[in-house]
Amino acid sequence: MTDTIVVTELSKWFGLKVAVSEVTIGFRPGVTGLLGPNGAGKTTLLRMIAGLQVPSQGQVRVLGEDPRANTDVYRKISLVPEDESVYERLTGRQFVELAARLAKTDNPTERARVSLQEVGLVDAADRALGGFSKGMRQRAKVAAALVSDPEVLLLDEPLNGADPVQRSQLISLFKQLGGTGRTVLVSSHVLNEVERVSDRVVAMVDGRLAAVGDVATIRAAMTDKPRRFYVDTTDPRRLAAALIARPGVLGVQVDRETVHVETSDAGDLARQLPSIAVAASIGLSKVEPVDESLESVFRYLVEGR
Amino acid sequence: MVLARHLYKRIMRRGRVIGLVALSSVPALLFWLVGFDDTDGTLTELYTDILSSAGYTYAIAAVILTTATLRDERDSGTLPYIYMRPMSRLNMAMQSILAGIAAVLAIGFGGWVAAVIASAVLGDLGAAVPSWTLFASAGVGYAAMFVPLGYLVPRSLLVGLGYILVVETILANAVTGLAQFSIWKIALSIYAGVEDGFGQVAVESLGPVTPGVGGGVIKLAGILLVGLAALTWALKKRDAL
Repeated sequence: MTDTIVVTELSKWFGLKVAVSEVTIGFRPGVTGLLGPNGAGKTTLLRMIAGLQVPSQGQVRVLGEDPRANTDVYRKISLVPEDESVYERLTGRQFVELAARLAKTDNPTERARVSLQEVGLVDAADRALGGFSKGMRQRAKVAAALVSDPEVLLLDEPLNGADPVQRSQLISLFKQLGGTGRTVLVSSHVLNEVERVSDRVVAMVDGRLAAVGDVATIRAAMTDKPRRFYVDTTDPRRLAAALIARPGVLGVQVDRETVHVETSDAGDLARQLPSIAVAASIGLSKVEPVDESLESVFRYLVEGR
Repeated sequence: MVLARHLYKRIMRRGRVIGLVALSSVPALLFWLVGFDDTDGTLTELYTDILSSAGYTYAIAAVILTTATLRDERDSGTLPYIYMRPMSRLNMAMQSILAGIAAVLAIGFGGWVAAVIASAVLGDLGAAVPSWTLFASAGVGYAAMFVPLGYLVPRSLLVGLGYILVVETILANAVTGLAQFSIWKIALSIYAGVEDGFGQVAVESLGPVTPGVGGGVIKLAGILLVGLAALTWALKKRDAL
């Protein structure tokens, strides 16, 4: 699959502060989560991809074009900015229709109606945006971004302020859009959100790419971090004794019926554990990795900096 | 023209419009107050004198409006909604300046109507009618200069007011070269080209700038082109946030 967004050696600095440093990456159709703590450079990266900020160094190509050089590409790119800002005096419908007209879409009124329906804002569409809650504003911004039916959708913290139901609806919508061949890039500093939005994750820390890929792959690539497992067993002490002698096992700890195992070679442990249990006549009821979650992976990435 | 219409509506908030029409009507109010004492039939000279010395209130209104045209979008964080559009930057610059011009002309129209009403009340309906050329040409000039400045400079309103107070009212009267680039004097020279009965104060305020429509219009066109080029460049080359 071809990358729709290609970022090469991209840097942005403001005086002495480096916001994004030498980022090279491609994004392909589907949903990608852009993860990083506040100040990691996610927003600056998205803004440069959107053509809103001029790179200090490097280049951006969206659908093969530089957005700053060829504004026609804006027919196919939309951004939902992080800022809460909207035109407070406009109604939701007027705001989305304005976006449709500026994007030169056919039948802007109908397109606006469809977009508002997609984000579940039809009932509130004729109220002024100034009276909208934060979550409703987010949805209005998403509707305005969808109104031009973009191939590339950049969403900067789009779930901020949305309640759990709205969150769920928006996540489903993003996945649906990604499933129809659009490139959807969703930034967030909330791990749980990124985990729900996409398997493919780009993690940024201090303006640099910290990791790219699905969570399991990123975790597997972190060979310097031992893997931890919980093993529920009928005889934890004998299992612990058998495991501690294995190469790669860095430590074991017994806690009632559970053995906590720390290993540098998770693959070997997974292969050998059944044989060890059979040889020692020990029953195993559950084997669970402890630090495979995005939260654990991300904690390692941030700590490693 | 969707963008121009949007920007125009955005800057023409009711409270702002009322305040700025009042500001640009100050010369008309002075004319009405002073005109009652004018018994020798020189209302036109009186009006031109007042307009040339107190007309800066309109310039201030124009600066407030034109700097706000794109600055409002930047300051409120809504610029991405208009920037990320399939529209050439030249077209975007043209529509932005057009919105600024339309807004200033609307405010100027209010000030001009007030002046016409005042001149009618004083018994010389024609005294203020030709001054529309001053309002219109100054509006075009200020929009060409201050819409780009509003986009580029965060405190553009202060810079604009500084320009009016320091450059237009002081330096342009002291430095001959600068007078030729003063928007107010250029607009006044165009007005002088269509109005014969200029008063003494008005003639003096022109300074070294020669009255005449042609020269003034050419200068204004030059300022418009420079403003358009500057805004197009800024939209292309500067961060749009």
